[in-house]
Amino acid sequence: MSDDALTQVVRMLAEVVGEDFLLDVEIGRDTTFNDDLGLESIEFVALADRLRDHYGDGVDLAAFIAGMDIDEIMDLTVGDLVDHIAATEAAHA
Amino acid sequence: MKGRRMQVPSLLGAPGIPRAETPKRRFLFAVPPLAGHVNPTVAVGTELVRRGHTVAWTGHRPTLEPLLRAGARIFSAEDDAFAARLAEAREEWLRLRGPAALRFLWEEFIVPLGHAMMPGVRTALDRFRPDVVVSDQIVLAAPVAARLREIPWATSATTSAEFTRPLAGMPLVEEWVRDQIGDFQLDHGIEDLLDLRFSDHLVLIFSTGALVGDTSVFPDHFAFVGPALDRPAGAAFPWEWLDGRPAVLVSLGTLNGPAGERFYRVAADAVRDLDVQAVFVAPPGIVDGTPPNVLVRPHVPQLRLLQKMSAVVCHGGHNTVCESLAQGLPLVVAPIRDDQPVIARQVEAAGAGVQVRFSRVRAAELRDALTTVLTGDAHRAAAEAVRDSFAAAGGAAEAADRLEKLA
Repeated sequence: MSDDALTQVVRMLAEVVGEDFLLDVEIGRDTTFNDDLGLESIEFVALADRLRDHYGDGVDLAAFIAGMDIDEIMDLTVGDLVDHIAATEAAHA
Repeated sequence: MKGRRMQVPSLLGAPGIPRAETPKRRFLFAVPPLAGHVNPTVAVGTELVRRGHTVAWTGHRPTLEPLLRAGARIFSAEDDAFAARLAEAREEWLRLRGPAALRFLWEEFIVPLGHAMMPGVRTALDRFRPDVVVSDQIVLAAPVAARLREIPWATSATTSAEFTRPLAGMPLVEEWVRDQIGDFQLDHGIEDLLDLRFSDHLVLIFSTGALVGDTSVFPDHFAFVGPALDRPAGAAFPWEWLDGRPAVLVSLGTLNGPAGERFYRVAADAVRDLDVQAVFVAPPGIVDGTPPNVLVRPHVPQLRLLQKMSAVVCHGGHNTVCESLAQGLPLVVAPIRDDQPVIARQVEAAGAGVQVRFSRVRAAELRDALTTVLTGDAHRAAAEAVRDSFAAAGGAAEAADRLEKLA
């Protein structure tokens, strides 16, 4: 299930950021949103929209971030988001 | 130094003096070494001097001198070694985004600046003996020094981002910021902690509800006075270059390294085939093969130039945004860091402009955004509504009224 979520998140990021900006980056579980991708606020909102469209209101990126401290937000990885999606889906299964 | 003059007001009023005389007071502005934070204080200071008060600034003298009017009194509160360290840190800061930039701003800039300014600010209080200290929102030293001396102090908020609580969605981060402010006060012997970003006497915000949103939730000592725009004109400009077509100002404040260079190249491509002229505020030679409808100038007389513009593309710096809106100009905003995403959202929510990406913006994206704000009346009308609210708010004169009441 989490492999599937990883595929989805990578696809969404490619859409939001643009494939041609990711030529040098292999997005995986360890990719950080802040340092590796430099995701801008507009792109973050666009990703949140895509996640909600695909997974429903259960996957709320803003709410996911809300409980984190500044280090956790700085170090947030694609894998953290994938695990959150998996946990949310398991809870609704 | 003149002694303080007290006056008994005349019952009948003095002939030829229409406004009630207020006693002459002394105001000290404490500012960080950032032009955008200094400029509004120049306008307020000029208005106070016009009313017969005495003003001075405390901060980094080499940064302040070119920004202030000739002869302005400056009390140095940042030595050159520290200023050099800050300049170095700034280079690193320009590479950061989001939470990393926030952390860096507090740990490497605001808190060390506060400690470094403390002795100089104290000396300024001893020697200038101000009746009121006006502290920039990110100068922690001035409120602490003023409180220790029991001098009334006001906050000068040169960006309105903090008034929309941008970190409300991240309570632990918001708490972390307050901890930085609390620890600073404890370090200097104050245990009755305040949020030093918001004076409990007077907070001057150089914006209005038309941009910030609902301001009725704030207490009366929060004064939304609108932009304070009177400052020295600055650089020369070849006015004859403007040929009457719609013109666009493109400015990122500072260059922001390679990402900024890329942004200007993309902007050149975006306007190349549009029937507009564009003035880029950037180092010469930044765009190879600059299109004929683009003029690159390292410095511009921005306030005067805006009067000739039809729209503005910028990074969302509060001053450039408000100066543009004060002329009723719609905006395309490409926020980079700090308060800029918040200000960009304010502009969009007010209907006065659109947001685009910064690092990965494409020429088509920028061209569409620019065409959107230039054609059709909606964005221009919204920008003009903000302009009218700014004009009604009173700017530097209203700020001076509020400061006189505090003195």
